[in-house]
Amino acid sequence: MSSVDQFESIFKSATKVRFNYQEIHIQTVLLVNDCDESGRNHLLKFATRFLRVLESHKNVDWILLNGSDFANIEDLLKGIERHRPDLIVTYRHLHSESWQWPYSLGEHLDVMTQVTDTPVLVLPHPKKEGGIPERLEKTDRVLVITDHLTGDHRIASFGVVFTHKNGTLFLSHLEDEEVFERYMEVISKIPDIDSDLAREKIRERLIKEPKDYIHSFQDYIKAQNKPIHSEALVDLGKHLTEYKTWIEEHEIDLVILNTKEKNQMAMDGTAYSLVVELRDTPLLLL
Amino acid sequence: MQESTTHHAAHSVSMGTTLLFATVLVGLIACLALEEKLHAKKSIIVGLFSVITLLMGDVFHILPIGALVNVFDEKITLPVYIPAVDWGVIAIILGSSIFVDVVSRSGLFTWVAIRLTKESKGDPLKLLYYYGVMTVVFSAVLNNVTAMIIVGSLTGVSLSKLERGNLLLGFLFIEGLLTNIGGLLTLISSVPNIIVGNAAGITFIQFFLRASPFVLVATVATLILGAKLFKIKSLTGDEEKSKARAMVESFDENDGIETEAFFKFSGIILVLFILTIATTSVLPYIKDLGMGYVALSFAAITLVRYKSRVDEFYRAIDWDLLGFFVGLFVVINVMEHAQVLNLIGKGMVPIIAMGEKLGTVSVMFGAALFSSVTDNIPLSAILAKILSNIGTSSDSALWWSVIFGSNLGGNLTPIGSASTLVAVTIMHKQNLKVSFAKFVKLALPYAAMQIVLAAGYILFFT
Repeated sequence: MSSVDQFESIFKSATKVRFNYQEIHIQTVLLVNDCDESGRNHLLKFATRFLRVLESHKNVDWILLNGSDFANIEDLLKGIERHRPDLIVTYRHLHSESWQWPYSLGEHLDVMTQVTDTPVLVLPHPKKEGGIPERLEKTDRVLVITDHLTGDHRIASFGVVFTHKNGTLFLSHLEDEEVFERYMEVISKIPDIDSDLAREKIRERLIKEPKDYIHSFQDYIKAQNKPIHSEALVDLGKHLTEYKTWIEEHEIDLVILNTKEKNQMAMDGTAYSLVVELRDTPLLLL
Repeated sequence: MQESTTHHAAHSVSMGTTLLFATVLVGLIACLALEEKLHAKKSIIVGLFSVITLLMGDVFHILPIGALVNVFDEKITLPVYIPAVDWGVIAIILGSSIFVDVVSRSGLFTWVAIRLTKESKGDPLKLLYYYGVMTVVFSAVLNNVTAMIIVGSLTGVSLSKLERGNLLLGFLFIEGLLTNIGGLLTLISSVPNIIVGNAAGITFIQFFLRASPFVLVATVATLILGAKLFKIKSLTGDEEKSKARAMVESFDENDGIETEAFFKFSGIILVLFILTIATTSVLPYIKDLGMGYVALSFAAITLVRYKSRVDEFYRAIDWDLLGFFVGLFVVINVMEHAQVLNLIGKGMVPIIAMGEKLGTVSVMFGAALFSSVTDNIPLSAILAKILSNIGTSSDSALWWSVIFGSNLGGNLTPIGSASTLVAVTIMHKQNLKVSFAKFVKLALPYAAMQIVLAAGYILFFT
């Protein structure tokens, strides 16, 4: 090692982003539904049981926003604004029969996730054949999904809040393999860069940073005696395929993901695909 | 350079021939001073001059071409430019640079650097003192350029992390100046030390004992003056202190460590290297083989760690620097045969004759001034040769005037030494505009203070 750039790289690599817990208060939960009374009671019972992790520190106020309270999106948004909840719990295709065709979210959910800053927990549709899967008892196994975990303290903090006592929080980071391969292909055509070395080092670096961040997260939960376990899932792969595999392999009860994209009004592309397809797993959309 | 070549140095050469060769030497020095303008590396400049001077030397019949006789009275035929080179110096530089390169892969130096950063708790004044001391120690143990590269690159990263970019110029500037102070600490800390020390017969321990008090005083004075002139102060508020502490805590000193075993091995072998170099002059058998042998041996031992990838280290060797030395030794050897060094020596006699004190100080000021505008290596090589030829005793203060002058002169201008040039390069990389004139203006108080301190030290303590 003999150049300024080489040593700068070493020192930059040694500067790590450490997990910094962000306080998250969930006092009021708004259950938005279009069920009849019986279905509503059943849904409320399930939701309060499933989210009992929120009751571990304080009592949570559950408020119902029923189908009769909103005929259109404007009414729905007014209802949310009126109650100012800390969390919205709902499901896809409100006031619609489209839930039978798993190709979209339904206009209410679509707008709700983008207009409000409140996190939205999306449950499987209550009218779905077989109802809400019975295995979903509590948030025992939670998966945080992102393609840029390092420094995203908020999503990891939500993971802490929503993981049930003695449960496992899987912090994941998946680099898009197709994008990686595209860059490697370009690099392979540049004679100044050793292609094999570039592949090895870039791959190593892409994986190392989120792993280091997860280590700092694990140090935090250990130091704070948080009653949860944490595991790292860091890899390169195809987003949807890999996420589905992880959810199945680790029997995930709740998936947490970011849906907002700074420079666009629509939901983030990968998040949208996941929210459309992962219909049997509760999703917390941030 | 070998003794056999110097026997021929006293043969008869006409004044015209001597003056012709002297003109070539002036041309070489001018080209080295204008290295940046010429867009040419040192090795190619000196290499071309060595080609020309060798040819001229043969044309004028001043070169000792023919067989050499070794201690066993065996005749050896070597090209005339081979014994012209001081291979002991080349071996020290080659061996120690490979050794340092391998050891730095262990993460040892970056570990020390980051530990010190964390110890400072992000306080700018403490950070300046710690980095300053680290610069001096690294310059002494490694070399000026590597020290500046390590500390300078860490400074850029850590001050950016601490959101103290406004202090970057001051830090880099002071560190650049301190590399040349640290370069005075040991016999192997800088090339002029090696060349002059070897010529004078000064041992590692003698050198360290003589130079270390000055290095200590000059380091403290430079840091105090630097903190004052660049307004680098301690943090006062509790909130400010706690924020800074949290920022430096995010550094992970273990990140660059490949394996713990190699890390520990590197620490141990570095200490052994310093001890062996320090005691080379008294160790049985080793003293006959010299410091170059020690440096190359340690390089070979550490390279075993990367035995299948040694070519990476061979590629990283500064061939420009080595080529420069080889060419320079050849040119100086030819100049010696052309009686040019004798002529310069005669010119120096009146200066030296000004008295033990005034003469010594004048040589130091002259060396410092010359070193500030061109490379200090040819200067120290020429002066060492001249002092040696006029029979200067090894305890004479004149040797120290050359050592101090040639090292400290580099602090006057950005081109005065390789390490200040690295400091300026890092400044430019960090978008800090420092012109030649601005550097001289900033450097003048420090360089003047250091040279005056050195003059006093030489007069009263050497």
